[in-house]
Amino acid sequence: MAWIRFLGALLAVFMTIAPLVSNADAHGDAKHDRGTIGEKCIKDTDWMRRNHMNMLMEKRHVTVREGVRVPAESLLNCKTCHTSREKFCDKCHSYVGVQPDCFECHNYPK
Amino acid sequence: MNMDRRSVLGLGGVVAASAMIAPGIHLIAAPERTEASGQSRWAMLVDVNKCDSDCTACTTACRQENNVPTFDDPQRDIHWIRKVELKDKKGKRPSVSLPVLCNHCEHPPCVDVCPTEASFIRKDGIVLVDKHRCIGCRYCMIACPYKARSLVYHATELSENGNADVPIRGKGVVEKCTFCVHLVDQGKKPACVDACQKDGNGAMIFGDLNDGQSEISKRVHEIRTQTMRADLGLNPAVHYQGL
Repeated sequence: MAWIRFLGALLAVFMTIAPLVSNADAHGDAKHDRGTIGEKCIKDTDWMRRNHMNMLMEKRHVTVREGVRVPAESLLNCKTCHTSREKFCDKCHSYVGVQPDCFECHNYPK
Repeated sequence: MNMDRRSVLGLGGVVAASAMIAPGIHLIAAPERTEASGQSRWAMLVDVNKCDSDCTACTTACRQENNVPTFDDPQRDIHWIRKVELKDKKGKRPSVSLPVLCNHCEHPPCVDVCPTEASFIRKDGIVLVDKHRCIGCRYCMIACPYKARSLVYHATELSENGNADVPIRGKGVVEKCTFCVHLVDQGKKPACVDACQKDGNGAMIFGDLNDGQSEISKRVHEIRTQTMRADLGLNPAVHYQGL
């Protein structure tokens, strides 16, 4: 029965490693070139991945309607670190099938 | 530490020289966050006597600054600011030329009629269109007594020498003069006023009416100025002198 025990142990090891490996596949920045320079964004990366759309909407509202301007967090400033719109924005958006129209008017070179 | 007079003066000289030769070093940092203030009331004063009928410095500067496109069809052309010739019907007075732009009324009828609340008045009195919300119904264009608003009939593109800091606009939204709100928020003057003072005849001035020390506030209180269609009671922010 030693081989069954060995198989069980192997399965357990595999199940522990598998999510880590697939996680690295999906989010590992080393494999995906996102055309990004700089250490970190205005908030941490995981938060930005999940919430950037709500944050941009909120910022849009307070900037247009209340005149709140924070130059360091301006949309005009995104392109200084996220140098490629194609690699950084469009890649993910086309994968999940969303079509934000920010850059039909705001300038963000491809 | 004891320093004699000579070394103190020398140190002062070094500090002054370094401030002059190192313009990259800012002694006063740029503000991190600015917000429209309810204490301000931005306004413009146009001295009609100084405005020359051949001069188009303001309209050209506006198009350049705000990426206002030109279309072939003059009926559908977008103008945030336009030059108008006023003629006396009886011919007793000479005709005058003046720029007409959004008057940024205190009681703007365009804001009253907007069904989506895209048109709004900011705390500092600047009337704006939130183009994210505008559905292009054009009620505001009909409500505006100054014909200050235009509908974007065609898709536009940023031209090669366009201003990348100002967004272009989508097809089917209404737009108008913003008093160059992006410049005003940085403490600068609108592009038309800047151009009028540099390249034109210095007919336009811009400032805060609520600030008693500002040039515009002094002049509006001292000189007889008029607003357009004052009978409507909208209290516009664009004042004219010598109309």
